[in-house]
Amino acid sequence: MSGAPRTSGQSLQALLQIVGWVGLGLIAVAVSLSDFLASAPADATAIGPLLMPPSADFRFGTDILGRDMLSETLHGLSTTVRGALPATIVTLFAGALFGFVAARLPRALALPLRTLIGVAASLPALLLAVLAIGLSSRDWVSLAAGLSAAPFAFARAFDRAQMQERAPHAEYARATGISASTLLRRDLVYEFTDTLLSSAARALAAVSIILSTLSFLGFGAVPPHRDLGLMIAASKTYLLHAWWTGAFPALALTVLILFARLAAGLHEGERA
Amino acid sequence: MLRFAMREAGKLGLGLGGAVLLAAAIAALADPRAAAGVWAFLAAWGRALNGFLHMDFGRSTMTGSDALAELGAHLPLTLGLVLEGFGVALLVGIPVGVLFGSGPARRAAAPLVQVVSATPIFCAGLALAYLAATVLHWPVPRGTGVATGLVLAPRNGAELQALLLPVLTVGLAGAAAAQLALRRAGAEGAGQPWRVQLRRMGLAPFEIEIVYGVPQILAGLLANLGDVMLALFSAAAVAEWVFNYAGAADLFVKSVALHDWAIVAPILLSFASLTMAAAFVGRCAAYPLAAPEAQP
Repeated sequence: MSGAPRTSGQSLQALLQIVGWVGLGLIAVAVSLSDFLASAPADATAIGPLLMPPSADFRFGTDILGRDMLSETLHGLSTTVRGALPATIVTLFAGALFGFVAARLPRALALPLRTLIGVAASLPALLLAVLAIGLSSRDWVSLAAGLSAAPFAFARAFDRAQMQERAPHAEYARATGISASTLLRRDLVYEFTDTLLSSAARALAAVSIILSTLSFLGFGAVPPHRDLGLMIAASKTYLLHAWWTGAFPALALTVLILFARLAAGLHEGERA
Repeated sequence: MLRFAMREAGKLGLGLGGAVLLAAAIAALADPRAAAGVWAFLAAWGRALNGFLHMDFGRSTMTGSDALAELGAHLPLTLGLVLEGFGVALLVGIPVGVLFGSGPARRAAAPLVQVVSATPIFCAGLALAYLAATVLHWPVPRGTGVATGLVLAPRNGAELQALLLPVLTVGLAGAAAAQLALRRAGAEGAGQPWRVQLRRMGLAPFEIEIVYGVPQILAGLLANLGDVMLALFSAAAVAEWVFNYAGAADLFVKSVALHDWAIVAPILLSFASLTMAAAFVGRCAAYPLAAPEAQP
């Protein structure tokens, strides 16, 4: 938009975003080819000795049922990402898009809506997701994760839209007789061309954490479709004696979230 | 200031009202008559709201015990965990936020802080438990969902060890939010024109930092107190599960699994109220400290 030269901080931020997207791309490739890349099918037991540490034959070791942890981690990553994608879309629409449009509704509607969603945003997203699954069923875990991440995205988009409404371009537009709906359309186009990708990456980071934590608590994935959270939960009993059963799924999950955070341009410690 | 406090109090009142409505809707699900249709649910919602006004939150459908008594037994443990975690968050977050707030130190620390920020809380909790058990040879609680009845003032070394792990887990999650708030406030303060003016007036850089800079940074932290509390409550929910800590968040998860809505509703209400109250107190306390141009 502006021709001003970038500062070194902005250049580093842009570089990190590229690293994040490249990382997410690699994860997408690994997920789509997980059945080919993995040496064993998902949940295939007795592939090797029980609780074997990482070795040349089994690079991530084996678990208590003799499953190859490298194959299981790939399948678990695939299950996590496949669950996170619809949840990300739900967060984008129910949170970011809805929040942006809601801010332009008449004040009598917009403010109660903002207050109501603000109540949900003042609760930990994980507890909201647990509640949503309790009220529905585990089959709706992606929807529950997406909806529970939506209040924060809604509040952020709502506040940004209200700031834009007070921006000079909006003042000029109103003064020259441009209608509210035309202005909303213009702002929506700019909002989404400017922030769609970073909002999507941010939502992906948020829902990946929620989904895996739900599975860890026993509210998410169900065997044999194990995701990374469920794999880590299963490793809890043997963690002290067989660290590799939990460490590699946790590493894969952290890398997924890290790349999503970098792609979103989040600062260190910033909430996804 | 008074006008600002009144406006914030209005927002808090609206938020609390919304939280009561939401909690009453959940409590209404415990009423067997609510399943008969929309009107029956609305009537149950009204009854639940009326009960809330009289401090009657109903009874657990599983144990038959009073919901308020259950909350009273479990919430102090979570609050203790959150408060002690808040202490750790300040202890870790303030040095990280101040020392690594800008310049080369920030660039050096950024990758580590990013990785810590990307680590899910349950993974961090398990990693801490693993390190405590293998390096320090501490006993680690086993199994899931076992009520240990921990107290917050440990009576012996074993209780201290059992308490430290969840407190550290919660504290580290809060530290990430605290250091971010501090760093942002520091970055905003660094670019303010009054710094140059004060230097021209002859004030030493140290004096400017102590008298003018620190209140700005403190205001930044206080203004984000709601976010820090939310991070602490989120972490407490997971840490209680990981470390078999019989707090309110652990009770919430189990009650949802058992569809014990009479227990779920007051826990939800108390968490939302505490977060909103913390945000209110923080913003009001930050207002007089913040520079006029930074005041909302």
